[in-house]
Amino acid sequence: MNEITLTINGKQVKGKEGDTILEVCRANNIDLPTLCHYDGLSDVAACRLCLVEIEGERRVMPACTYPARDGLVVQTHTEKLEKYRRLILELMFTEKNHLCAQCVASGECELQALAYRYQMDNLRYPLSWPSLPVDSVNKYLVVDHNRCVLCGRCIRACDEFAGIHTLDFGYRGWRDRVVADLGQPLGESSCISCGACFQVCPTGAIFSKSSAYKGKSSECEQVTSVCPICGVGCEIKAFVKDNRLVKIDSPDLSKPRGLLCNKGRFSPLQPFAKRVLTPLKRSDGKLEPCSLNEAIEIVGARLREIKTRYGSNSIAGLISGQLSNESAKAFKDFITGSLGSKQLDSLDGDCLRLVMQVLQDAKKNLKDIEVSSLEELLEADCLFVAGAAPLETHPVVGSYVVRAVKRNGANLIVLDATGNSFPYQATLWLHPEQGKEALVMKALAKLIIDEGLVSASNKNKKRVAALADVKTADVCKQTGIEYAQLSNAASMLAKARRCIVVYGQGVLQYRNPELLGLFFDLADILESDNRVTKTLWLKPKGNSGGQWDLGVVNTGEFSVAKLSKNKSIKALYLLLGDDWTEAPELASRPTGVEFLVLQTSFVSPIVSEADVVLPSPLWTEVSATYTTLDGLNKRVARLVRPPEGIRADWELINEVDRRLSK
Amino acid sequence: MAKVKVATVWLEACSGCHMSFLDIDEAIVELVNAVEFTRSPITDIKEFSPVDVGIVEGSVGNAEEEEVLKELRANCKILMAWGDCACFGGVCGMRSTFDKDEVLRRAYIETESTCDGKIPRPPGVPALLEQVKPANHVVKVDCYVPGCPPDAKTILYALKELLEGRLPVLPSDMMRFD
Repeated sequence: MNEITLTINGKQVKGKEGDTILEVCRANNIDLPTLCHYDGLSDVAACRLCLVEIEGERRVMPACTYPARDGLVVQTHTEKLEKYRRLILELMFTEKNHLCAQCVASGECELQALAYRYQMDNLRYPLSWPSLPVDSVNKYLVVDHNRCVLCGRCIRACDEFAGIHTLDFGYRGWRDRVVADLGQPLGESSCISCGACFQVCPTGAIFSKSSAYKGKSSECEQVTSVCPICGVGCEIKAFVKDNRLVKIDSPDLSKPRGLLCNKGRFSPLQPFAKRVLTPLKRSDGKLEPCSLNEAIEIVGARLREIKTRYGSNSIAGLISGQLSNESAKAFKDFITGSLGSKQLDSLDGDCLRLVMQVLQDAKKNLKDIEVSSLEELLEADCLFVAGAAPLETHPVVGSYVVRAVKRNGANLIVLDATGNSFPYQATLWLHPEQGKEALVMKALAKLIIDEGLVSASNKNKKRVAALADVKTADVCKQTGIEYAQLSNAASMLAKARRCIVVYGQGVLQYRNPELLGLFFDLADILESDNRVTKTLWLKPKGNSGGQWDLGVVNTGEFSVAKLSKNKSIKALYLLLGDDWTEAPELASRPTGVEFLVLQTSFVSPIVSEADVVLPSPLWTEVSATYTTLDGLNKRVARLVRPPEGIRADWELINEVDRRLSK
Repeated sequence: MAKVKVATVWLEACSGCHMSFLDIDEAIVELVNAVEFTRSPITDIKEFSPVDVGIVEGSVGNAEEEEVLKELRANCKILMAWGDCACFGGVCGMRSTFDKDEVLRRAYIETESTCDGKIPRPPGVPALLEQVKPANHVVKVDCYVPGCPPDAKTILYALKELLEGRLPVLPSDMMRFD
């Protein structure tokens, strides 16, 4: 990049070719006021606060969009410009109802800060007092149009950072307003509640219900960490005041994994369920609080007793895939090491083993066929999403998919019986009757091969033979999908040069190896000299991958499904952490289990079945490591101290281990 | 040296700015050496007389407030506005987003605890203006101290500036709208 030299306010300053005048000012510490500009978003020159005088130009020009050139002579703070800025602020204040005294954003509002800077202590224009709505339908966000300055940052954030483009301007002139979709309440629109609009809003027009009035950012301690909830591993910046989470922001919305979603941004601030705050023991048929010492004594004693009476393998351990590497390792060492039991599994063990088994049978390695980083989604020109609704389960992955569609013109094919996956964004929606997905995959494969859309290699000839008795017309009848749609899907896939197949629980739920295998087959069929096809498995829990790597899951001797059939399990240690289980096998105490110890954060239905309950911390209360969907090891820093007496899960397990060996 | 005469009024207001002024606590002892308060809610003197400085808290929402403000303006050399209501319209201006008759109906007839309500009309009560106005949209105002309320230190600063012969314009680091 060539260096350029401008004269700003009489001084020679340097910039880079391609910079705007605003960028040159910022690089040279010239404080030009802005409002509609946001680093990482496109500039629109809407607010006019950055107007500058440029020699040779007849009118004042906005610095944020004017390209800087070598030799430009610019004035940024003349008396005329400062007067204009004061006028603009007064116009904004009189246009809507900016009542600072009650506003959540007072003290950290960019409009207010500018008014203070320009010593705006009165308004020369008549006040409009418009009657404007407040939309609080969304579960997390409120949109108060009385406070909006129409800077458009929310619209551009929703479009450029999130990719969803729910927000835009509606109506005209003085009725101009930010609207969601076709004027729906935000909570009834295509909005995914990622909160990017909230983070970029300069005023209190868009605010978060769970952060309102809890404290100003300047009063908070800021902690950088990573969110472990879904496995994407977004970087977060937490604001904490008096050991209470006030707000979770992204350190940089424009960076990869900088988007955040409603799960990481808002759910830690909203109480999810009643917390388990003290250890509990069963006494006279009822659960009552007891000391940690007593609880651990009971656990140690009963496990020792059951091990002696029935043997090591009568004790089983089940862990939620949500728990950290440290917790998982300590649990594995305890169950398989100290207790010597082979009965260890994650609650999602069956799903994880299914994938690994199918891959092994196909002689494939997960690392070779999966994307090596989630950001590869952004480069795709065709995405095939099956049995997954990323915008709900892994919203940042969903955002990457949508951005690929917008920026690369990628075709998004969704195989989903429910219609919940990418309802507003899919290019082609294949919606077979529930349970008929395998037929669709076979018909698709057959079409691709039959129509010569890919080269007939050896692999494909074998497949042709295997698909010989698949009649596409019959499949259409049986599944309810039209032939034209199957044909379209086939040509979209064949046209692609960088194709990614995304699959999740919707496929794995059937526990059908053949069905899963068909997805790897598809990737195989498409792989060629000029086409790269990868898969992305949206693992069920945030640390499923990390726990697999630690060997918690791969044994396969035991699983939650086997629990009801295996009458030899006499003791069950259920490590739920801050997760919640809806496994039907755990709806009530499994038959034959004489001792059930539950280590968890929340009072879930299974609590009433336990003999001992040990309290777990939340992920926000402990520093631990997790492994992302694409294999990155991330340290999640502690944001707040846990409630009195609550310690890290692995510390509790180690304590139980010590008592056991005594 | 003759004391500076000051008159204050509160209009469509909560009286918070006057209360905040009184938060100057013991500094008022020194202040009244230089200042004489005439007509004011603080002194409870009800008649206007010529003063050097007039102070208005609150916005103008009805005919009587308009009259009172104009009388204050006619009787003072310098007029100072205290608080967001006087400077910008403020909280007391919020009813302006509704139709005036709708506001009266809601307040006097539709409130849940009212039975057989009746809207009081002039000359019994002053007529509501269509919209609430900040002080400077009714009379000429010379200086402003925004805030809700402005804190005691800020009010004292502004008064001291006046006493030293300067019209105060609050520096940015003293400006507050909340």
